[in-house]
This record gives sequence, C-alpha cells and structure tokens, in this order.
Amino acid sequence: FYFFLVQSLDPLPMHGRDLGVHPDDLIEPPEQEQESKQEILENKDVIVQHVNIEGLGRTKEDLLGYEISDVFHAKSLIDVMKRAHVARLRLLRLGIFKDVEVLIDTSEGTDALPNGLDVTFEVTEIKRLTGSYNTMVGNNEGSMVLGLKLPNMFGRAEKLTFQFSYGTKETSYGLSFFKPQPGFFERNLTLNLYKVTGQFPWSSLKETDRGVSAELNFPLGVTSHTLKWEGVWRELGCLARSASFAVREESGHSLKSAVSHTVSVDSRNSAIFPSRGALFRINQELAGYTGGDASFLKEDFELQLNSYHHYCYCGLVLSASLWGGMLYPIKGQPSCIADRFYLGGPTSVRGFGMYSIGPQSEGDYLGGEAYWAGGLHLYTPLPFRPGKGGFGDLFRTHFFLNAGNLCNLNYGEGPQAHLQKLAECIRWSYGAGIVLRLGNIARLELNYCVPMGVQSGDRYILRFTQICKISVI
Amino acid sequence: MAAPDELFCWEGDWGLPSVSTDCLVVLAYAQFAGAPLKLRKICNPWRSPSGSLPALKTNQKETLSRPADIIIHLRKQKFNADYDLSAKEGADSLAFISLMEEKLTPALIYTFWVEPKNYVDVTRRWYAEHMTFPLNFFLPGRMQSRQLEKLRLLRGDESLEAGEELEKELYCDAAECMNLLSQRLGSQKFFFGDSPSSLDAYVFGHLAPILKCKLPNGKLQQHLKSLDNLTNFCSDILLLYFPRDGRESSGPKAPPQPDGGDFDNVPNKRRKQLLSALVALGAMLSYALLTGMVSILHVQQGALEEPPDLEPIESHQHEEQGGS
Amino acid sequence: MSLAAEAFVSQLAAAEPWPENATLYQPLKEDQILLSDHASSLAVQAYLRMCGLPVQVLCRVNSEFMSPSGKIPFIHVGNQVVSELGPIVQFTKAKGHSLSDGLDDVQRAEMKAYMELVNNMLLTAELYIQWCDDATAAEISRPRYSSPYSWPLSKILAYQKQWEVRRKMNAIGWGGKTLQQVYEDVSQCCQALSQRLGMQPYFFNKQPTELDALVFGHLFTILTTRLTSSELAERVKSYSNLLSFCRRIEQTYFEDKSS
Repeated sequence: FYFFLVQSLDPLPMHGRDLGVHPDDLIEPPEQEQESKQEILENKDVIVQHVNIEGLGRTKEDLLGYEISDVFHAKSLIDVMKRAHVARLRLLRLGIFKDVEVLIDTSEGTDALPNGLDVTFEVTEIKRLTGSYNTMVGNNEGSMVLGLKLPNMFGRAEKLTFQFSYGTKETSYGLSFFKPQPGFFERNLTLNLYKVTGQFPWSSLKETDRGVSAELNFPLGVTSHTLKWEGVWRELGCLARSASFAVREESGHSLKSAVSHTVSVDSRNSAIFPSRGALFRINQELAGYTGGDASFLKEDFELQLNSYHHYCYCGLVLSASLWGGMLYPIKGQPSCIADRFYLGGPTSVRGFGMYSIGPQSEGDYLGGEAYWAGGLHLYTPLPFRPGKGGFGDLFRTHFFLNAGNLCNLNYGEGPQAHLQKLAECIRWSYGAGIVLRLGNIARLELNYCVPMGVQSGDRYILRFTQICKISVI
Repeated sequence: MAAPDELFCWEGDWGLPSVSTDCLVVLAYAQFAGAPLKLRKICNPWRSPSGSLPALKTNQKETLSRPADIIIHLRKQKFNADYDLSAKEGADSLAFISLMEEKLTPALIYTFWVEPKNYVDVTRRWYAEHMTFPLNFFLPGRMQSRQLEKLRLLRGDESLEAGEELEKELYCDAAECMNLLSQRLGSQKFFFGDSPSSLDAYVFGHLAPILKCKLPNGKLQQHLKSLDNLTNFCSDILLLYFPRDGRESSGPKAPPQPDGGDFDNVPNKRRKQLLSALVALGAMLSYALLTGMVSILHVQQGALEEPPDLEPIESHQHEEQGGS
Repeated sequence: MSLAAEAFVSQLAAAEPWPENATLYQPLKEDQILLSDHASSLAVQAYLRMCGLPVQVLCRVNSEFMSPSGKIPFIHVGNQVVSELGPIVQFTKAKGHSLSDGLDDVQRAEMKAYMELVNNMLLTAELYIQWCDDATAAEISRPRYSSPYSWPLSKILAYQKQWEVRRKMNAIGWGGKTLQQVYEDVSQCCQALSQRLGMQPYFFNKQPTELDALVFGHLFTILTTRLTSSELAERVKSYSNLLSFCRRIEQTYFEDKSS
C-alpha cells in the first residue's frame, strides 16, 4: 500500500531545482529531507491505470482531460508524483477550484495490474457566484464598490466579472468576460466593457472613458503576445476653472478606436523584488484606421535586467532598466493630451513630481510625444539585518540613479535631430532609500533623493519622498 | 354663472396665505382681480387634481397648474388686473417677470431647498409637520431632489452642489434683481400706479416668502429688509389683500413660532405619541428583520452556489476573493 | 481659489487694458453651430463691436466643452476666460468699457429686465424649436450638432444633448407646450420688444446698450437662419420697427468692417 498526499510536495519549483538559492528568498524551502525518500521510490516501474476526478459539479470533464492527461505517461512512482503535482497546479490555475487534493493508490479491481496505480484528484469547486463589497473613504470622496464574479460560468473555466463603484462624485463600472481555450489556458480571449473616471491634477485634467475592448493572449515560444482592439469614448474636461488654456482647448469628446500588439519576454523570478532574470516588453498601438477621431501610431518599450551578486555575506542585486516611447500623429492630426507620454515621479525619474517633467503651460503638464528613461538600482538587505528571516526580509535598501527626458519632436527633422533633442536637458537624480514589499502586488519606498538637471517649469522634490508603486500581476 | 373655479394651494404659515411662491402669485392675482375662487388649502400635493400645487380646476373640468396659465385663464374670465395697463406697461411686466424667473427663482430654490441648514431646520421640518403620516417621510425628500434637479438644469451644471461659491453667485444675482425691482418701484404704491397688476402679484409671490420666513441663513432677507420700498410693498399687500392671514400670524407669533406651537396643541400631541409608538415598533421590527435577514442571506447564498445535495459546510464561506 | 484671491485677480485683470489678441470661440460656422448658439455668439460680437473692442472669432469643434460654463460663446482675453453675454458685460465694465453708464437707475433696471426677457422667452423658444420639435431636431439640430464626430459617438452625443434640453424644458414648465404655443410666446416677446423700442433708433434712445446687442443677436439670427419651417422668422417679420432695428445695427457695426 502506497498512500501519498502529493500536496506535501507543493513547493517544488516549476522550473527544476535551483542550486543558487540565496538566503533571503523565503519562498524556496530546503529540499534535503525529500531526497532520501525519493531515492527508494525512484526506480520502481509503475503504470498509471486510472485517473479519476471526484467532486465535479458544473465543470465539464473534457476541459480537465487536457490538464491531467500527462499523468498517464509517468513511468516511475516519483514521476507520477511529479506529474500529478504539475497537473494539480494546472487545475488550480484555472481558477475554478478552491482546492485540489491528489491521492495515489494501487489499482484495484479485475483488470488491476500488479504495478498499476490509480490517481484520484479530489476537487472542491468554487461557488457559482461570489461577491464582494467594500466601502472606501478617501479625501473628499467616498465610494462603495460592489463586485460580482461568476467563475466557471459555462463549466469550461469561463469567467465573468462585474465591478461597480458608486461614489459621491463619480460612478464607474467594468464588465469582463474571460474565455480560455480548453487545454491551453495561456491562450485566451477577454472581452471588456467599462467606464472609468480619472483625475489628473498635474494636468488639471479630468477624463471619463467609456469603452469596449477585446483582447487575445497567446504565447509563442518564450514570448507572450497580446492582440487588442479597443474602442473608447473619451470625455476630457478641466479639473478646475483655473486650468490652463492649453488644457481647456483639449476638452470635449473624442472616439478612439485602436489596435495594439504587445510582445513580452519575462524571465524574472519576482515582479516586485526580482533578483535575476530579464524583462523585455514592446508595445505598439495604431489608432485611426478602424474608425474614430484619433489617429496616431504609438510605440513604447521596456527593458529590465537583474543580476545577483554574492558579496560580503550578503546578496546584492543590481538592476538596470530602460524605457522609451514615441507617438507619431498621422493624418495631420495633432496628438491628444490623453494619448501623450508623461514622465517623472516615483515610478520613473525619482525626485521629480508625479508626471511633472517636460512641456507645460501655466503649471499644467501637457505630456510629450517622445520620451526615454533609464534607471540603475543596487538593492541590498537592510544594514545589520534586523528581523532576519521574518519581517526584516520584506525590506531592502537601495541606491539608485535615474535619468530621463520627455519632449515633443518635430517630425520634419531627421533622426539625428531627434536624438539630439532627446539628449538635451536630461533630467536625472540619485539617492538612496528603503523599499518595503507589500504582499505580492505593491512596493513602498522611502527615499532621499537629489534631483539634477532640473529645467524651468519642472516640479521637483528634495529630501524625503514617500511613495508607493503598485504593480498588478 | 356656473360654479366657481376651484384653486388648490399649499397651506399658509409665517403670516403668509401660502408657503409656495407659485401659489402666492396665483392667490395675489386672484385677489387683485377679484376673482371668486373656491380656495382649497391643502398639504398633500397628491390630493390636487394635477398632482402638484398650485392647481386650478375650472368649471369645465380642465386642470391648469402653471401660474402663467392660471392667470391667462382668469383673464379670459374677465378677471383682469392688467386692464388699465398700456401696451408699454404690459411689455415692462413681461420683462420684469422674466427677470425674476431668471435671477430670483434660482436663489429662492437654493435658499429654501438646497442650503443645508435652511432645508433641514425649516423647509423639511415645515413640510414634514404639515403632511399626513406616511407622506411626511418621503415626500419632502422627493420634493427637494426635484428642486435640486431643477436648479441643476437651470444652471446647466450636472454636478452642482450646495457651497459657498454657488451661494455667493446666486445671492449676488438675487440681490441685484431686488435692487432693480426696488429702483423700478421707486416711491409708487404699486408698480404701475395705484392699482396692483400681475407684475405686483409676481413680485409679491417671490419676495414675501423671503421677507416672512425666518431662515437660519437669512442673507436674502437681510438684503430685502434694507430695501424699504419693497418691504413696505409686501406688507401693504398682506395687510390689504390678506388681512386674515396676517392676523392669524400675529397670534401665534408671540410665543416662539415653530418650536412652541407644537406642545400645547392637542391633536399634534396625539399624533406625536402615535408617531413615536410607530417609530419604536418600526425600529424593533426592522431590527428583527435585519438579524433575520442575515441568516436568510446565508442560506440563500448556499443555495445559489451549490446544488442542494452537497454538504452544507460550504455555505459558511460566503466570500471568496480570488487572487487577481 | 478663495474669494479674496479671486477678487484680487479680477482687480489685476481690470488694470490690464484690452489686448489686441482677444479671441471669441464658437462652434464651426458652416456645419455645426445651431440657431441658439449662433444668436448668443452674434450678440456678444455685436456688443464688443459696439464697445469698439477688437476680437478675433475662432471656430472650434469643441467650443461648448471648452467654455467654463458649458455655454457658447466664450472669450479668451489675456489669461482670463469668460462665457456668456452677462459676465462678458461685467468683465468689460471692469476694464472700463461700458455702454450703459449713461442710463439712470430705472432705465438700467428696465434694460436688465428686457435682457432677461430675451433670455427667458426668445432663447428658450429657440432651444424648444431646435430640440423639442421632432422635425427640426431630426433634420437640422441632431445632424449639425453631431457633424464633427464619428459614428457611434455622434448619435450618442446628439441624443444626450436632446435629452438634456428636454429635461430642462420639463423643469421650467415648457414641456407641455405645443409648438404653436411657443410661437405665440415668441410673438408676445417680440410684441413687448417692439413696444419698448417704439420709434427710437435704439432701446434707450441714441446710444446702443447691451440690450440692443442681445436683441440684435437673436432677431438677426432668427431672420437669417433657414429652419424646417419659416414660421419663426415670419413671427419676427411682422414687427417692422424690429426689422429696421436689425438692419440699422447690421449696417452700422457689421458692414463697414467687411468692406
């Protein structure tokens, strides 16, 4: 009788064993204990005879067949365990099960082989309808957020989400339908319908977007691609009567219909505190050829490289990143303030006010048609390692050097002139600070920074800045 | 002649024959023209034939509710207060009535229905106290949202809110309008000589509530009181044409007006007792329902999520936050 | 901005003279502008010409949304933005240009009252005919209003505007009126204006005031704009002194500039 709960193998890394485990990474536990057990079991040949799934309600079985079929190909017990573990993760990834347990047992019954195994997945489905309710009170505005989710709507991991936020000033909503291809979860289609309202005090601008979009995601080799069409009705307005005339001129309604394509390669090991790996993402958007009032071609890219160094008993991470983008208006139409790029602030060039670099009019930042920004970071653990192995590991100290520039290009001139323009008046800053990881979605920084290359009109912040960067994964 | 027309109006208070501007305009005009109307002062707009007040039910069973329509109707019945006016004076009436509609009406709506303190302490309170039991809970609020909507549409601003800036703007317009009326009136008794006309009815209807109603935020009243000829104009009309209402007010005016009136009034006391009993009962019922509701919700959610044959453990976890 | 600061700024603005580059914004003249907006815009232009203040007229698709009050027209002078005739009159007055200084108190009261008469009856009637008369709304107002936008935004915006105007009409008690009643109101208003004008060249004798500019803006636009029915223009045409008043202002203030 063998009886294993494969759940205990849970933390097995997906990409094979990693020998360069560095001490601060909490997620990867030591694996020595399992080695001895594995060696005994590894050699035994087995045949997987049956794979059962128990606890299915609405879920269609054909969907799960793709996810677990791999278990049949296992040759040894350890192989069965590994494959069952992978299959379990694949099932959980569908987002339709609350829990999945795997039972491996010897086969029983008339056709049972002596070395035959039965694998049983015991699943617990997520309820048909889940809801959430929040109230938020911010400065000058309170709102109520109501969320409804129908995971597994038609039994094949389709997901329908609805979010409605009713505020004292604004209401917004979003309805989204997600449909993965059965057996190929990464290839999926998302349809969205939404209304969002944003206020941008650095531009004295208020924007209300109502739109529909369709998005197709698929991987291709190591790259993942997103193809998207979006139709948005945008309503721009002044945030206050004192808004500059340049912003006032942009007020009104417009319709944007754009097709965009994004390719990305991400080999980083964490999105918040990556210690190795690289990210490369390039995005292009073409508006105006599928209807609508706005016409432009927009390109932007992001590159991030991380490398880990062991030095003086502590791990140092060196991270370099580069962003850049260009907006090219077509059909002789000037670009819209809502499409242009903005630079400055804690997510790009630290030490400068939020999006407060570049062209401006009467104190309102108008954004630019071209930009680049780069950053060099050195992350270290906290000095003297307080709270090591626990709370203290959520913190890092970092030293940084940021630089960037944002401007408008005269597209009549050649690339030489463009490069020259982007190299003029570079804003840069350096400094040091403490970074705090909040869950797996956000980071909080407390920095001392010194802005350099400040141009007239730029808003900058000397001394401490307390900032928050949210990246939703 | 057939039976007289019936006029439905809001009840009066504060020494006025009615609390609503539109009703006052119609009442004043009817008095000026000497129209014999059967007056029905009510506090329930649902009992009016048009669902709003004022309303005139003619003997042909027609229902009119705009003051201008009612005045035109009375004029057709030969009750014409504007008979003596020259064409140019008629034109002036029209112009000044427009002036009040554009400049004074928004400020009146603001001061009675939007300014928070005035609304809660006076307007809402008055209507809630005068309406019958189930109506007084929701009708004042609904009237307020209608008035706010109207003000928003008049100003063309969807997100208009009570505030210092808006108040300043509206009161500035209103004060200017009062000044202009005062200048036009000069030292005359009425706007066009010695006999009142429809313009006088409109001016009276718009200014008398400001003059007579004691509001916590009384900036409009302060300004009006500084214009002696308009103040006298209003009190003269009250004295000459609505002597009964004026006297009525001077009676209960001696004890402090809105607060004192209620306690020595027996039917009011009864109603209050009944009301408080009802409130207590309602509170208890709603509490019971509320606690009951929670348990009902639990069961419902369980039923929503799972086919009924599954184990009931699931129904405890009713909130699922999928990692986004 | 606090009220004190605002007062300070407007004092500053008053100190500055009228600049050469003052601009007036209105919707596209050929394809977009509607009767009521054109009337209001013409009224402001007439007023500024009467004051002798130069202004350049710019047509913008989004001028309604650029305007601080959402109403057309508005002027951009220095770094100040002012919309609608009433505030513009006050603004020029702060800069020392006024047409109504020569009037006494009663006259000034009457002038303001007649201006509100035009706004209250003529402007509202124009809006009613544009958006509440189904034929005019379908053939003229909606297509013109939405002309700069692409489908489906054009439909959405046009119906949104129509709905908003209809709600306003209901709120002020015009919702129940018939087209014929609205024409009657226009006649009544013109009758009043004609009575007030009499045989004088301008409403207050020899000198034009902002009332003259406002009346000219509306009547001239009504007379020169083609609608689905000519009823509105016919109503105005029956008052000969108003017709000659319009012609007089057009000749005095608009023709010599273009030649």
